[in-house]
Order: sequence, then structure tokens, then C-alpha cells
Amino acid sequence: MSKEETLDKLIQAIINGDEAEAKKITEDALAAGMDPLDVVKKGAVKAMDIIGEKWRRFEMFLSHVMLAADAMKSVMAVLLPKITAEQKSTFSLGRVVLGTVSGDIHDIGKNLVGTLLSVAGFEVHDIGVDIPYKDFIEKAKELNADIIAMSCLLSTSMYFQKDIIQYLEDAGLREKYYVIVGGGPVTADWTTEIGADGWGKYADDAVTVCKRLVTGGVRPPLPKPILIGE
Amino acid sequence: MSVQALLDVLDRAHTGPVCSVKDWDTKVIPGKVSEKLSEHGLKGTCTPENPINTEDSLADEFWHAGFELAVDVGMLCLDTERVIKFTEEELNEAIRNAPSEVILGEGLDKVLMKARKPEDKTTPLYCAPIGIEASEDLWIPLIQGIAQHRVIDMIQGCSLKTVLGRQLRSGTPYETLAGRVQAQMHREALWRAGRPGMCATSVITSPTVYGQLGGYGVPGGYRTSDLALVLSPAELKTSYVSLHKVIHAINCGGSIFAGSSSVIGGYAGPVEGSTVAMVACALLQIAVHQSGWGSCSVIDMRYNGNCGRDAQWAISVAFQGISRNSRLLTQSVLNQVGGPCTDMLLYESAVGMMNLSASGISFSIGPRSAGGRYADYISPLECKFCAEVLKSSAGMKRSEVSELAKLLIPKYEDKLRNPPKGKSFTECFDLKTLRPTKEWLDIYLKVKNELIDLGVPLE
Repeated sequence: MSKEETLDKLIQAIINGDEAEAKKITEDALAAGMDPLDVVKKGAVKAMDIIGEKWRRFEMFLSHVMLAADAMKSVMAVLLPKITAEQKSTFSLGRVVLGTVSGDIHDIGKNLVGTLLSVAGFEVHDIGVDIPYKDFIEKAKELNADIIAMSCLLSTSMYFQKDIIQYLEDAGLREKYYVIVGGGPVTADWTTEIGADGWGKYADDAVTVCKRLVTGGVRPPLPKPILIGE
Repeated sequence: MSVQALLDVLDRAHTGPVCSVKDWDTKVIPGKVSEKLSEHGLKGTCTPENPINTEDSLADEFWHAGFELAVDVGMLCLDTERVIKFTEEELNEAIRNAPSEVILGEGLDKVLMKARKPEDKTTPLYCAPIGIEASEDLWIPLIQGIAQHRVIDMIQGCSLKTVLGRQLRSGTPYETLAGRVQAQMHREALWRAGRPGMCATSVITSPTVYGQLGGYGVPGGYRTSDLALVLSPAELKTSYVSLHKVIHAINCGGSIFAGSSSVIGGYAGPVEGSTVAMVACALLQIAVHQSGWGSCSVIDMRYNGNCGRDAQWAISVAFQGISRNSRLLTQSVLNQVGGPCTDMLLYESAVGMMNLSASGISFSIGPRSAGGRYADYISPLECKFCAEVLKSSAGMKRSEVSELAKLLIPKYEDKLRNPPKGKSFTECFDLKTLRPTKEWLDIYLKVKNELIDLGVPLE
């Protein structure tokens, strides 16, 4: 099989959400001597571009995109050990710890944001729903994350977003992580009030917000948050 | 409501087939929904150019697909990651045993709710407002202002922003306290409005179980003649939070109103998938949560509302299917995104209310003014407008409603993703007289007269 054919097969396996097949093609490609960086850029990244476009056109839906993102993660798990940190910086946009805050078990908005961020090239660590604020911080420390992302659909759980930022400040950790917030009742005003770094009105705005944060050249906390859609 | 039936549900939540949440979301639901759409020839049947369905056979096919989906997949308990399943006979029995009419409320404020059919002349009921967050000091005048309109039958209330001046946090003792505090405020508002016996759906300020435990059926709390509200985070999922609320209502001798929403573009996929999931969700609320109502709604994730063409189509098909094929009481929520004091909110409401009425709904709860996104962005006038349109539309033909929807939806559909925020309660209402400002009243009269000119039988 030619290099191009291998990459096409990999792209299709990722789009199909076939985790096992995508992983096997990647392993076979490396065994055949293909450059791991080529496999990332011409295979995995290209697949995610196609998926992102299908999502925007409403030709793929959440569950399918989640499976595709998982397939991509399995590919990256094979490739990353073969890639230098410098090479990684050419395609990985950063590491995100994502969850829904305490008292709230809504997951669809979080799952959508996590999936779209993965598709866009972020390394997303989804820690689930109803998450105590310290768990966000512990995970961010453990992974040396760039961004903490907090979802919330209940107005009565929004306060926990504020708690996390307050704790980061009190613990002297605020400069280490960008913090973004989102969810039904979460507004631009609330984002500004609690001192978060970014907010988007819709789930897909999270990609724009995160890209601007990690490429903006300003360390957290931002003097004014990035607000998309208000 | 049977304790034995509830025990069966709890037992199944512990012994049913194991399924992880991830597999449920990414494999079971999308796979089975897609299978049902294929089996019943329902893929690609949505007609955005005709946003209100008029074909009985299509609605019936969605009913059959939704019933089968409910039997095939059941409902996932998030805490145990086990599936609560029912046989076809069990689900049929639950549907048969559900009421077709019920009297709600007390004294002079009693109302009779009946199961309806599409184009039924029986008047549906309206419950307002949906749980938009409201400031504590505005809560009583806001609810009083809504309850003063006799056209509104039931009250849900707003979610409290604070409790006795403190930040109200989910799952904390503040929430337990809020249940009781809101119940007292609710009584006060209804008394001031001269409608002390109105039925409530309660406790809306109960994101976890604590608000319900603190406020429903306890001395000074919501009465057991009020409905205990059990809302689940997604269609075809339940949790111990929901089941605790069910048991608490049964313990108190109350009645349960349970519901959830499907998401277009979400786990069930395209609009047709969400429609099938809506039917299954409504049926399983009765079997799993012992709800007296088949209740479900839909949200289009592209704008977080449901007044666009696809979502209106889904609502019309799902509830025509349920009401044509059963004698269930049904409920659905309209999720507007335009804010108070905008004509967009009223146009969205007009389309949605006419659709719900003509599609056979028994009652609706709303409105979700400004998408429910901003505290205090809700006013009594849009509640009154929704109730007026819902009730006056009883008996309208679906074909008439479809034609009206085609005229009205273009007035707002290009603004669904970036809707006008409008004005808050204090900005568009006089709190001393509880009357709308001239600006808001003029918008209301303009849209109402426009609808009358178009043939909507409003008074």
C-alpha cells in the first residue's frame, strides 16, 4: 500500500470512529517506516479538519464526532511517544481539563465542547460531571494543563465556577492556567465578574476562545476576558 | 402511582443490563435511533418548508418507532450504569394505566386537564413561567403579576437567585432551605393575586434533590395537590436525583410531573432522530418516573431554542403521534430565545403555541424568554400572550397553523442565533401597578392584532 493510500485509510477510519482500525493503521504505518509527524499532519489532523467541517454543516452529529475524537486519541497515543516536544508544538494547541461543576449533572454541552476542542487540535481531559472544584485543580496540576474549562447549565451551580478561580488566586496558581466558562445561564457579564479568561455563547465558540488564549501571547489571568457571541 | 411499580424500577436500576454512559451516548442511542429511522422509513422526512406536520401517517410512524425505541433501549440510570428496561406489555400497561384527565389545584382555582387529539377543540392548559432565574426581591411581584391573569392555569415559578440574601448553591443546605422559602413566597404571590388554589409544578429551585426535600410536602411547603417536578438531564437517562424526587413525592402522597428534552444534533442525531427520542422519552417518563404525563421537549443545539423550523416540525410530529395513538396527558415546553419587550419573543411564542395546541398537547409550561439565559428577563405579559394563543388555537387545523407558521417564522429565523436580549422585568413593567410599560404593551398589541388579521381566533 502506498503512503497516500495508508493515510487515506487512516483518515477514513478516524471519520468512521473506528478506534481499533485507526490504531492498527497507525501502528502499521510506523512499522513500514512512515514519518510519525507526517502521519499526524497528513492523516489525523486532516481527518479532524474534515470532521469539523461536517459538523459545521450538520452532516455529523455529536455521538459520531465523539467516536471520531476517540479514534483520533488512539492514533495520537501511538504517535506521541515517537514525536519530539518541538514537533508536537507544531500541531498540538494545548491541554485542556474540562468538566461540569458541582451540583450539575448535565453533560451534553460539556461533551460537545470537549469534542470540538479535540477536533480542533487540543488535548482534552474530560473529568466528568458534578465535579468538586478541587478536582479541576488537581487534574490541571497533574497534567500541567494550559486551560481549565468549566461547564454549567444551572444558575445555582455557577457559583462553583467562581470558587475555582478564587481558589486558584488564593493558592497562587492563577498565573498557571487560563480559565474558561460556559453553559446556558453563563453570560459574558458573569465571566467578567468572576475573573475568567474566556467565554463563548455557543459550544463551538469555545474553539475560537481557546485558540485565542493559547496563541495570544498573554499569560493568565487576562486583564479582560475574551468574549465570543455577546 | 404504585409503590410496587417504583420498586420494580429501583430493582431494575440495580440489576438491569450494564452500560457505560459513554457507550450509551455514542453507541446505544445513536445506533438504535438510526435503526428505528431506517426500519420505519423515516430518514430525511423532515420538511422545513412545511414546519408543522399535517400527515397523520407520518406522525403514526414516528409513534411506532418511538414506542419500539422505548422498549428496545429503556432508560439508563447514571448512578448504577444499568439500563431500566420494560417489555412491550409492561410499557403498554403503564400507558393504559396513566390518566386521561385530571383535576389540578384547589378551591376556585381548580382546573380540568384532558387528553387531546390533533385539532381538538378542548382547551389546553398553560403553566407559567418556566424556571428562569429571578432575584429574590422581584420573585413575589413577578409571580403575582403572572398569576393575576386568569388565562394562566398553573404556576411553576422562577428559580431563586439567592435564598434569604445568600448565594444559592446546588446541593448545599442553602438549596434545602430554598425549597421551603420558595414555597412560602409562592403562596404569598398567589394570595396577593387572589388565586390561592392554583396548582404548582414544584420545586423549580431544586437542581439536586435537596430543594425538593426541603420544599415539597413538608409543613409550610408546596402542597401535595401541587405536582412534584422531576426533570432529567437528557432524554432516556435518569439518576438517583430524579428517583429520590419520585420517592419523596410518593412518600408525601403527591403526584409527579416528569420530563426531559432531546437535542437536535445531540445523542439522537438529526431532527428525525430527536423526534423518535422525544416519543420514547415521553413514554418512559410514565413507566420510570411514575409521571402522570407524557412529557418531552426538544432543543436545537444550533441556537439553544426550539422555535425554528426543524424543532417545530419535531414537536408537531412527536405530539401528533402520541396524541393520535394514546389517551395520554401530554406536555411540552417552548424554548424561545427572544427577550421580553421584543416582537421576536411574541412571534416565536405564536408559532409554538399554535403548533402545540393543534398537535394535541394537554398543557405547556413556559415561556423561556431570552432563552432563560439572563436573570429577571421574564415578564407577565409574554406569559399571558402564550396562554392566549395556546387556548385560542384549540380547534385550528394543522394546515392553517402550518400556513401561519410559514408567514411568521421568517420574521425571526435569521435572528435565532443572535436574538435580541430585550428588557428585564423591572425595565418593561411597573412594579407598583404590575402593568407593562407602554412600549411593551404596544408591541404586544401590534403582534396580537397582526395575528387576528391573519385569522388567529384571539379575543
